[in-house]
Amino acid sequence: MFRTRGLRRAVWALAVFAALACGSASYAADTLNVYTIWSERYATEVFKAFTKDTGIQVRHLRFSSGEVLARIIGEKSNPQVDVFFGGIADAFVAGKKEGVFEAYVPKGAEAIPAKYRDPEGYWTGVAMDPICFMFNASFLKKNGLAAPASWQDLLHPAYKNGLLMADARTSGTAVSRIFSLVKAMGEDESFAYQKKLDGNVQQYTESGAGGALPISRGQAAGGIFFIVDALEMQQKGYDVAISYPKEGVVYGVEAMGLIRGAKQPELAKKFLDWAAGPEMQKIYEAQKINLIPTHPEVRLQNPALDMSGVNLLDLDIEWSGANRKRLVERWVKEILK
Amino acid sequence: MGERNPQIAPGNAFTRITSAAARIAPRAAIWLLLALFVLYPLARLLFMLFSSDGQAGGTGVANLAGVFTDAYTRRALGNSLLLASSVGLCGTFLGFLFAFAVTRIDMPKGVRAFFSSVTVLSFVSPPFTGSIALTLVLGPGGLLQRLLHLPDFTIYGFPGTLLAETLTYFPLAFLTLAAVLGAIDPSCEDAARGLGASEGRVFRTVTLPLCVPGLANSFLLLFAESLADFATPLVMAGKSFPVLPTQVYLQITGMYDLRGGAVIAFVLLLPAFAVFFAQRFWVNRRSYVTMTGTGFARSRRGHAQPPRGVRAAILGAISVVTLFVLSLYATILVSSFVRVWGVDNSFTLDNYRFVFTSGLNSIADSLLIAVAAAIPGTILALGVALLSRRGGASGAALEFVSLVNYILPGTVLGIAYLIAFNSGPIVLTGTMTIIVALCVFRYDATGIRSIIASLRQLDPSLEEASLSLGASRFTTLRRVTLPLVLPAVKAGMRYLFTVSLTAISAVIFLVSVNWSLLTVRILQCITELMFAEAAAFSVVLVAIVFAAIGCIDLIFRFVCPRSS
Repeated sequence: MFRTRGLRRAVWALAVFAALACGSASYAADTLNVYTIWSERYATEVFKAFTKDTGIQVRHLRFSSGEVLARIIGEKSNPQVDVFFGGIADAFVAGKKEGVFEAYVPKGAEAIPAKYRDPEGYWTGVAMDPICFMFNASFLKKNGLAAPASWQDLLHPAYKNGLLMADARTSGTAVSRIFSLVKAMGEDESFAYQKKLDGNVQQYTESGAGGALPISRGQAAGGIFFIVDALEMQQKGYDVAISYPKEGVVYGVEAMGLIRGAKQPELAKKFLDWAAGPEMQKIYEAQKINLIPTHPEVRLQNPALDMSGVNLLDLDIEWSGANRKRLVERWVKEILK
Repeated sequence: MGERNPQIAPGNAFTRITSAAARIAPRAAIWLLLALFVLYPLARLLFMLFSSDGQAGGTGVANLAGVFTDAYTRRALGNSLLLASSVGLCGTFLGFLFAFAVTRIDMPKGVRAFFSSVTVLSFVSPPFTGSIALTLVLGPGGLLQRLLHLPDFTIYGFPGTLLAETLTYFPLAFLTLAAVLGAIDPSCEDAARGLGASEGRVFRTVTLPLCVPGLANSFLLLFAESLADFATPLVMAGKSFPVLPTQVYLQITGMYDLRGGAVIAFVLLLPAFAVFFAQRFWVNRRSYVTMTGTGFARSRRGHAQPPRGVRAAILGAISVVTLFVLSLYATILVSSFVRVWGVDNSFTLDNYRFVFTSGLNSIADSLLIAVAAAIPGTILALGVALLSRRGGASGAALEFVSLVNYILPGTVLGIAYLIAFNSGPIVLTGTMTIIVALCVFRYDATGIRSIIASLRQLDPSLEEASLSLGASRFTTLRRVTLPLVLPAVKAGMRYLFTVSLTAISAVIFLVSVNWSLLTVRILQCITELMFAEAAAFSVVLVAIVFAAIGCIDLIFRFVCPRSS
């Protein structure tokens, strides 16, 4: 008697749990699902414009490139999204090998220069983002230094224990930094240089932007960032100096692609067609998003994003995809250890 | 006599069957749940790792061999073990100091509540904002360095990571040990004093040995927690102190190598397994029963005060820790009320306006998930602890299986859940259930360990007396067992609720467009360099945790009025 009452209560408790826990997902037929690495503000502007133009609703989730890729691979047998938008091109190269992307060349994508696109159509680059130096302006003034204009300037003893750089194993910023050095100096020279540079490095941060706040607040002298993050700090009002090395820097390509087995392939293709056109890339400047368009028809007014005086080194994405792992491992072996 | 418990009536086949069913049913239900949410995802992950489909990161076996042959990974393994053991020891020690102060030293009620709150504050540690605060306080040119005038002093590395993890996880030790210390019958200590033992001797030969189940369980919890934590070392370990969980995370999200990372993660199960059996062996050698029928009635008298010098030393030590924890949160609090921290320090409420407009959904979702996890999680924890008390191989197996999800690094567990519940017989992607299940089956370990530690103090004859007086098993559980282990149950529930609100490493793989979480929003703010907004979110998170803990205390007072 007591026992059955006890059991009945346990059953009730379980029923309440089940009722509470069963929030079921319903995927509307006219909704596009997207993973992106772009920050909430950037992504929302783009998807809002797409919905306005086509009436198609977009639901999106944002993670880092590595997290998105791990999710897409995990979900391979039952994909949860249709498009990966804004991911670093490297991630697409890695995902292509895992068989999680579908080749699709968006309509009008031919207008985008070939160096920003996958020759087989697995991804299309929609923005570029060069590497730059960002230094605390008052630190420079106090030490009587000009903003560094060469990779060699970073070896100055005033920066001892003062540089923050991202860890190559977690951050695309760091990988682009290594690519820049390899392209500018040659591989072996670049590693010899980084060994010297390591003496000035205070800490390797997890995320590319991780050093931005300590530098802006004067806990470190400076570091190497994507321009999009450096300009964001400047826009916020922090007194930082942005400069470029004369030997040159590479740039990250932010791309988009179709997921294999997407539930809404037609909507996905519509989105990719739309996003490959010039109208989407005009949103960047209009919304103070500091990315550089890949579409030749989109022109920028912002002088900070004028790259005519910057030595930009072209990077073959296939080469970088094939060499990324090896270079990162070499970095871990030779620089971290 | 006909009114007596039917269990005793002989020869009635029907009642015998129902009573057997009642005994087996909970056990079967718990095993079924553990099989579904612990063993099944693990099996699916292993299958994926070792199947040959779409290899990109090398085979699982090759990666496993790499763990032991690669010097860097071996060093990381060594560092992880050193760190986990040190965190286990230091955290348990610190937790013991706090628990001892709160249970044994007379202080005004408000002060006692204050010290207890500090321990809660310490483990709320909002993801990312917590580490940013640590960098700002401990980092180069940080608050601590400026206050103590330490030039060129680097906290990054082993000391920084140890300090940060100890401060984050010592509350686990506190929760377990406060329940155990509070339940020790004062008459045991009084008897020793009566026999002429000095205070030091009483502590060494009576109090401390009686705490062994609590100490051993809290060491295990801290050891496992440190083995699974990648976030703290990521910020604090710096360039010269690699640890394994961070390697796992880097391998998966940085090197795009899911298989390689997951395989390294399995190596982490080995030391945890070893520590689990070591603590079990050590604890099982003796009996720790102090809650007996006679002693319990007398325990209202309270404990004797430790000597004045000891009191001063303990209070001094915990005050220093308290100050440090508060300074971390003060940093977050201040930055949530200013425009651009360090540049434009004028007061503003804009950050909170942002939180309560754009962040409202995620707050509601997080709360719902935490509540949905805390209630069944507490029932499950109690069930597992009670069943594993029966001992034997099945008890040990149950205990260990309930720990597995806790030991695996969150990244790996999240991916295992993603793979297991995205296709196949049970599809849960995009639902709240999958997030709730993850929280329950990962973080219930704390409640389970702490209830197990308390149960060891309980004299079985109390329950036997109740049963022989005709009470059913359920009534005995409700009226005798439960009130006696209630502090531990409550501690487990508090922890489960809090951690369901603050966890991120595993959950990040399970959030969907339907369910967005507070912690994911904090991460977003950080990656978007919106530090002030992230700080405001963290402050709201802390406020919610404190409000919820208040509610949990009220509920327990309502359910079991006598025990509080």
